[in-house]
Amino acid sequence: MKIIKDKVAKLSFVALLVAMTAAMFYAPTASAHGEKSQAAFMRMRTIHWFDLNWSKEEVPVNETMTISGKFLVFAGWPETVDKPEVSFLNVGIPGPVFIRAGSWIGGQLVPRSVSLELGEVYEFKVLLKARRPGDWHVHSMMNVQGGGPIIGPGKWVTITGSMSEFVNPVTTLTGQTINLENYALDNVYFWHAVWFAIAFAWLLFWIKRPLFVPRHIAVASGKADSLISAGDKKIGMVFAVGTLVIVAASMGATNEKYPVTTPLQAGLLRGMKTYQMPEANVSVKVDDATYRVPGRAMQMTLTITNNGDSAVRLGEFNTAGVRFLDPAVHEDDTAYPDDLLAEEGLTVSDNSPLAPGETRTVEVTASDAAWEVYRLADLIYDPDSRFAGLLFFWDEKGNRQLVTVDAPLIPTFI
Amino acid sequence: MSASQSAVRSRAEAVQVSRTFDWMILFTLFTAVLGGYHIHYMLTGGDWDFWTDWKDRRLWVTVAPIVSITFPAAVQACLWWRYRLPIGATISVVALMVGEWINRYMNFWGWTYFPVNICFPSNLLPGAIVLDVILMLGNSMTLTAVLGGLAYGLLFYPGNWPVIAPLHVPVEYNGMMMTLADLQGYHYVRTGTPEYIRMVEKGTLRTFGKDVAPVSAFFSGFVSIIIYFLWHFFGRWFAKTDFIADDAS
Ligand SMILES: [Cu+2]
Repeated sequence: MKIIKDKVAKLSFVALLVAMTAAMFYAPTASAHGEKSQAAFMRMRTIHWFDLNWSKEEVPVNETMTISGKFLVFAGWPETVDKPEVSFLNVGIPGPVFIRAGSWIGGQLVPRSVSLELGEVYEFKVLLKARRPGDWHVHSMMNVQGGGPIIGPGKWVTITGSMSEFVNPVTTLTGQTINLENYALDNVYFWHAVWFAIAFAWLLFWIKRPLFVPRHIAVASGKADSLISAGDKKIGMVFAVGTLVIVAASMGATNEKYPVTTPLQAGLLRGMKTYQMPEANVSVKVDDATYRVPGRAMQMTLTITNNGDSAVRLGEFNTAGVRFLDPAVHEDDTAYPDDLLAEEGLTVSDNSPLAPGETRTVEVTASDAAWEVYRLADLIYDPDSRFAGLLFFWDEKGNRQLVTVDAPLIPTFI
Repeated sequence: MSASQSAVRSRAEAVQVSRTFDWMILFTLFTAVLGGYHIHYMLTGGDWDFWTDWKDRRLWVTVAPIVSITFPAAVQACLWWRYRLPIGATISVVALMVGEWINRYMNFWGWTYFPVNICFPSNLLPGAIVLDVILMLGNSMTLTAVLGGLAYGLLFYPGNWPVIAPLHVPVEYNGMMMTLADLQGYHYVRTGTPEYIRMVEKGTLRTFGKDVAPVSAFFSGFVSIIIYFLWHFFGRWFAKTDFIADDAS
């Protein structure tokens, strides 16, 4: 007897552990810090985020900030990733530390998934309302069906205040203003409590009597029918009929209380408005490109032709959100995140203004620790060792032109 | 225990030991079912149960009963045919929902801060109670499968409607109409659950006009019947004592 008791006790303990593990098994991902672990070619050749702006670096709870900017859906989208035919504009934050109060692509609200066209530029904006205090890395992000999340650059934003003060007022079409943060929560608890109480009553009705050993003996000796009395059956009927009555009555009462309800809304948004960049009249040919592993620098030989009517200079190379600038041509005044900004990271062998009609071959070097920190250098281990990025040229009047580059990359290890 | 000496010396002591046994077995059963059923339900019902903006009139109504009638059917098979205890379905669902509430409250809310009103579990209790009573009154697997399985499917949507209806009130948001549940899903950012993986309002039952929930519920009930049979057999098989070497029958 003692041995069996011990065994059951042991088994109970194991079962308890299993149960607890199961309960702990799942929590929605709290961390949004995937940017560095994502394959470099994914970040370089899918969505190019640029002109990004985080409107604030510190926000009190209940106040809002925006992330805005543009993204180019790269024309040389990798074969291994599904095309962004079904995509969702998201933000990379650790759970709902902000709520997404609004998000727009080309001025259109995008609570649903959208279809994006390769080679096009879109303007976007995400309005965030601060909810939970802390320092959070806030990224722009595009989820692509079949491609996974494509994380844009992130910037640290501090939320101050207290989460208990957070409110989320919403006015329904039936005219009430509710706080979505805890709306209908009492109702959830109430109905679950009611049904748990009924279920426990049913369990208790049986559990209060001797159970396994005597009942097993009775069943084994052919006296099973004696175990369910007429009274038990009556109580059973009460529970079954009671359940049906409560379900029907509560449903009726609910329909009376909420006469206007609609089904969940879903569906793909197509034909998003694109953003027209000024026509680029600079053409760039990549003669070769190498990545020097020890120097953490990428070197490209570019043949640049100016077909416009104003002299141009190369000012910025942007890839995977890392910006390499030539300070003689362009300086950042948007408080772009430090770790993603190489203010003097771009060197051009001859960056004197390129006159209209002129063609010049130059050596361009983009060097910064970001190659390592953001694991872009891992590109050389990718299945398709190509790099891609955006080149920005400025003409004499300060107008900017965008040219994309996409070419094979050869690593050098010495 | 014929060969060895009896461990109890009196009837009172036997009764007491038997009762201790009851509690230990109940506790083991409850926690084991909680663990197994919970994992099973998370893997099969998953997001449909996690988020209010997945709880639609078609797939949620169809999927949740079908994947959740499994353990109740199996535990019923064991508890009824061996002990004539009509509590198999209720105890399973109570265990599942206790586990779910722990998870939703501690992880979804306590750890990740999703408001509870977006991530509360579905209510499966009305169907479970009816399933148990039908087995008790009918003493028949077939009757329980057919009548109980159907009832289990049919009771699911109305059993959850009082909880879910307030979240289906429409709202106009920046020029678009959506329900409050849709708005919850939009507001409370989930980086790993983008909008497009939401499987709502999809299906081929559109010919029935706007009353899709009852049609989905009937369909779910019919499939639940089949799943009930299957898992009832699993339960019976697992409740066999053939693998115990001794004379225990
Ligand atoms: Cu980050």
